[in-house]
Amino acid sequence: MVVLSAARWIRSRLTDRFWRKQEVLKYARHFRGRKNRCYKLAVRSVRRAFVKSTKARAEKKRVLRALWITRIGAASLEHGLKYPVFISNLVKSQVELNRKVLADLAIYEPKTFKSLAALAQRRRQEGFLAALGDGKEPEGIFSRIVRHHY
Amino acid sequence: VAKTSLSSPPWPEVPKLPDPVEEAKYHAEVVQKVNGMISAGEYGRLFAVVHFASKQWKVTSEDLIMMDNVLEAECGDRIRLEKVLLVGADDFTLIGRPLLGKDLVRVEATVIEKTESWPKINMRFWKRHNYQRKKIIRNPQTVLRINTIEIYPCLS
Repeated sequence: MVVLSAARWIRSRLTDRFWRKQEVLKYARHFRGRKNRCYKLAVRSVRRAFVKSTKARAEKKRVLRALWITRIGAASLEHGLKYPVFISNLVKSQVELNRKVLADLAIYEPKTFKSLAALAQRRRQEGFLAALGDGKEPEGIFSRIVRHHY
Repeated sequence: VAKTSLSSPPWPEVPKLPDPVEEAKYHAEVVQKVNGMISAGEYGRLFAVVHFASKQWKVTSEDLIMMDNVLEAECGDRIRLEKVLLVGADDFTLIGRPLLGKDLVRVEATVIEKTESWPKINMRFWKRHNYQRKKIIRNPQTVLRINTIEIYPCLS
């Protein structure tokens, strides 16, 4: 016989409820308490965990930059300079190293960091002389702006 | 003159800079010495600070770098990283203002791997407003291995 319409006495049943719950529970397995086993509690905790991780990704950049600044400040204090003095004089001497690399150099390459601190100190003194001497003394060597043609 | 609160200016006393002629002689001597050291090859492992993929990396030979983007080069291609900001060895450092010349440093790397990152989950949720959005993000990643860093004695 030809059947033109689907049988209407068959109801569709959800058969993969177990696996749908497992998809959520797998992210909660390392949590503490009943929220690593019970689905209702786990759903809420997993949702909060995802939202926190999303927001933390934006905050991580801020946290790491603050950490680098603290480390660079501490390292420059060992050489007798404060952080704002160090960074401003490096920028004025056209050295464009970012804070991440400066922090790494301060940890792993102390001699290089010492030379950068000396460069900043020298540029600072030339800046003072230029400001206080009012054009009578010759211009400083390290204050010259270098223009390259690559 | 007796030392009172107004006998000297409030800013710290600036020491005089050394004589420019003597300084120039000293600088030329240092440059010649470093040039001699480079041409004689008396340096051990070199490290460099390279600007690549809008980030700065402190790099040595034989180390791996992973960037969060696509590189238009096939796996196994040798790449030369220009834009070197700093090169150093144990006894000397060459600081670029801001970059070092291409005839001075050469940093070579090979593209090893081009994959996607692990699936990161982006979720937004407002409580009591029935609003939640979940998105799975996979970023393309490239892995480079820095083969060599070479310097040439062309300081002046």
